[in-house]
Amino acid sequence: MTWLRILTIRIKGMFGKRRRETELDTELEAHLEALTGENIRRGMAPKEARHAAHREFGGVEQAKELYRERRGLPFLETLFQDIRFGARMFSKNPGFTGIAVLTLALGIGANAAIFSVVDAVLLRPLTYRDSDRLVTLLHDGTDPVSVGNYIDWREQSRSFEAMAAAEYWSPNLTDVDSPEHIPGLKVTQNLFPMLGAEPQLGRVFTAEEDQKGAEHEVILSYRLWQRRFAGDGKVIGKAVKLDGELYTIVGVMPREFRFAPFWSTHTELWVPIAFGERIHNRAGNSLRIFARLKPGVRLAEARAEISTLTARLERQFPGTNRDVLVTPLMEQVVGKIQTPLLVLLGAVGFVLLIACANVAHMLLARAAARQKEIAVRAALGAARARVVRQFLTENLLLTAMGASAGLVLATWGTHALVALSPADIPRVETVTIDTHVVLFLLAVSVLTGVVFGLAPAMQATAVNLSDVLKEGGRGASESAGRSRLRGFLVASEFALALMLLIGAGLMIRSFFALESVDPGFNPHNVLSMVVSVAGSKEADPNRRAIFYQQVQEQVRAIPGVEAVGGINHLPLAGDMWGWPFVIEGRPKPRPGESPFAVYRIVTPGYFPTMRLPLLRGRDISATDNATAPGVVILNQEAARTYWPGEDPLGQHISFDSGDPGSPTWLTVIGVAKNAKQEDWATPPYPEAYLAAFQNRDFLGAAGAHGEAMLHMAYITLVVRTTRDPGALASTVKNTVWSLDRNLPISQVLTMDAVVAGANAQPRFEMLLLGIFAAVALVMAAAGIYGVMSYSVSRRTHEIGIRISLGASRNEVFRLVVRQGMALALVGSGAGILGALLLSRLMVKVLYGVRPIDPITFAGVTVLLTIVALAASYLPARRAMQVDPIAALRNE
Amino acid sequence: MAQTRGEVLQGTLDLIVLKTLDALGPLHGYGIAVRIQQVSADLLKLNQGTLYPALLRLEQRGWISSKWGVSDNNRKAKYYSLTRSGRKQLLAETESWERMTALMTRLLGRAEGA
Repeated sequence: MTWLRILTIRIKGMFGKRRRETELDTELEAHLEALTGENIRRGMAPKEARHAAHREFGGVEQAKELYRERRGLPFLETLFQDIRFGARMFSKNPGFTGIAVLTLALGIGANAAIFSVVDAVLLRPLTYRDSDRLVTLLHDGTDPVSVGNYIDWREQSRSFEAMAAAEYWSPNLTDVDSPEHIPGLKVTQNLFPMLGAEPQLGRVFTAEEDQKGAEHEVILSYRLWQRRFAGDGKVIGKAVKLDGELYTIVGVMPREFRFAPFWSTHTELWVPIAFGERIHNRAGNSLRIFARLKPGVRLAEARAEISTLTARLERQFPGTNRDVLVTPLMEQVVGKIQTPLLVLLGAVGFVLLIACANVAHMLLARAAARQKEIAVRAALGAARARVVRQFLTENLLLTAMGASAGLVLATWGTHALVALSPADIPRVETVTIDTHVVLFLLAVSVLTGVVFGLAPAMQATAVNLSDVLKEGGRGASESAGRSRLRGFLVASEFALALMLLIGAGLMIRSFFALESVDPGFNPHNVLSMVVSVAGSKEADPNRRAIFYQQVQEQVRAIPGVEAVGGINHLPLAGDMWGWPFVIEGRPKPRPGESPFAVYRIVTPGYFPTMRLPLLRGRDISATDNATAPGVVILNQEAARTYWPGEDPLGQHISFDSGDPGSPTWLTVIGVAKNAKQEDWATPPYPEAYLAAFQNRDFLGAAGAHGEAMLHMAYITLVVRTTRDPGALASTVKNTVWSLDRNLPISQVLTMDAVVAGANAQPRFEMLLLGIFAAVALVMAAAGIYGVMSYSVSRRTHEIGIRISLGASRNEVFRLVVRQGMALALVGSGAGILGALLLSRLMVKVLYGVRPIDPITFAGVTVLLTIVALAASYLPARRAMQVDPIAALRNE
Repeated sequence: MAQTRGEVLQGTLDLIVLKTLDALGPLHGYGIAVRIQQVSADLLKLNQGTLYPALLRLEQRGWISSKWGVSDNNRKAKYYSLTRSGRKQLLAETESWERMTALMTRLLGRAEGA
């Protein structure tokens, strides 16, 4: 531990310098005087004695220097010295410093902000035990699974340690001050142990899943516990009323626990699932299956097993086990957002590189102006390495200032990103500036400091001493090497800016392609909200139709309301259910090839309210009630797919697929225009609109689809208004509550907001890429302007000679512009090549535009050329106005 | 060449300083220099200035300690004295020095009695 002691002493030795110096002086002086005294005693004259003493002592200054080096830590002391010197230089040039720090701060801050999102969303593992061993089993990797399949897979597969299932269930919490519709899940009891999730209070589910009656337990999320139960520690064992039934609270999960991590991300409570009669049901697909791979089993092995297993089951139960995919859970969570985020990370990387190039160029120009200082230092004996070191220290100081400002920008930017980000980015709520981000920022900063600083430092110190001193620092033409470096920097900036602009251009084109998509309906001035009747007296099948009708009539009477309708699931915002159907008179389809349609249930008034045009036939009317024959309206896609070249009007279809007895036939009475369904960018599927007041599922009368539909105890109201629909929201809600104060009303949204939400992610990406590209463009323009101005000012002398030898002003102008354009062209060429290579990475985030889009490429190139021309124009004008006599006399 | 000599001097100087302080008790820099010159009878030509960095080094290692005091001619002077770990170090170094000289003597063929 001696070294540690020595280090401590030497660190202390760096401080209290004045005192230590005085002491040293005193000590040495005492020694010299003693020597002198001794010499005098020996008979020397005082003066001579003193000289002799000095001879014996040796060099006083050398001894002191050796002493000082040993006393402190010379490396650190030099560093501090350089930092002090650098800080003085920077504070003397506030303009230079300000621009350089701001440029770096923008680059570094933007990187840190985007990285904070990438880190939280993509890089951090999910918060379950060994989360990389968790997978999902879903049809096509996304679609739910039947209970029968779940049981078969769980019992017959060998690759998994555990297999659990979850089903969406959103009950009404009633018997409290304000009734609320709460997103929840029904889960198998093995789910929590499989995830390795421990409750904060109470316990998880223990009962066997099929024990009917044991399913009336509930586990609360931390948020729900805080919000509705005020974080009450004695909440365990209390009963709550969900959809009119009593559930016992058995546990509360910790704050950071979230499940499911995708699809149903805002879940606030979990109850045990009881399959009951559904255990052999292979038709109603409502479960999401989660599983944990056995130790040692690889994903590929599990996939192979499931593929064999489902192939066998498919032969046994045709049409039930198609395209079952095993997907890592992490991929489910981040799959869709990965590419856009990586594109953004790449884009900010480019912005940082451009920032580096700009600062490097500024430093080069400054180093040129400091040539004399460097030469003097070298002449006084400074080694090149020492001067390079000083420059690097100054650069790191500059970076440190940039990074500090960048951290502030990043903190601010991260908040803005999270606030602006579309709601469907998973885990975005966990984005923070944490140690990961700070480490990233530090690494980026150091790298930045070295990247932009090393080349100028090397260039600046590679000077021929006598040349510089002889020229007296006057404006000689630059060395070829330095102007090459400068040219390279500007060309790179252009290349990078061009690639960014192309990326942004593609996003903008893609976004406008998306915006111009016709949703089929007119979303302006439409208000929507979900009114839930579960657990209330209106849930009664005998009352529900009357209640829904009353609500529509009362809301219709509100001044400013033009039309009212209802639907089970609102397009773009609500759930989407698909259901197979049969067509009367057609041969029984082969398994798995049944006609299939998105299943909507609408009240009379839905089509006119949404202004969704009927292309043929008639609308559903009030007379299409429980006593009238069943009717259905199809969309164009259904008509085109299942009646190609035929007229579907008057045809009969039935959705009672499970029951071979006597199906309820529905007559096709109309064909509606295609409307957007779940996702904005996806082309529409076949879709069927059934009449609400004759639909037993919708009215709660245990319809054809049995239990799976029992929880459909809600209606989504759509209200067309004559003025701002948002302003009418509370009036409409109060009208509903005037009929029953206990009904939860949720998802109060304008249709415009719904449409905006559907495009939120592409809009977000376009916005960010656009901002980055704009910053890049400004920086690149500043770069070329700076370089051209600098070059003109250095070449004043040469231009003076040219003019006096007869070059016309126009020729001088062209000379400068040509030089600027040459750099821009070389850069653009490289940028186009780079963009051709990189833009294909964007395929996944683009809509309606190919990655190699000639319009974008051409447009961006023209834009950059104009910018380069403009940036060269001013310096060229200045060159034109050089007065040859003045320029030459300046010698 | 000069460097090689310096290196040899460094270790030797440490040992000499420790031994001096061991023999004479607390001394100031000048006193140490005088003593070295007396003992070495001018065989060892020492630049007295280099003594001070050496003293600093020994002090940093904890082998000697220093204290301001008053010299014989009533001047402020810094007195150095041997610490306990310095005494240990002196013993260890003396031993290794003796081993080394014995070895060198034998190696160079001028063993005792030869």
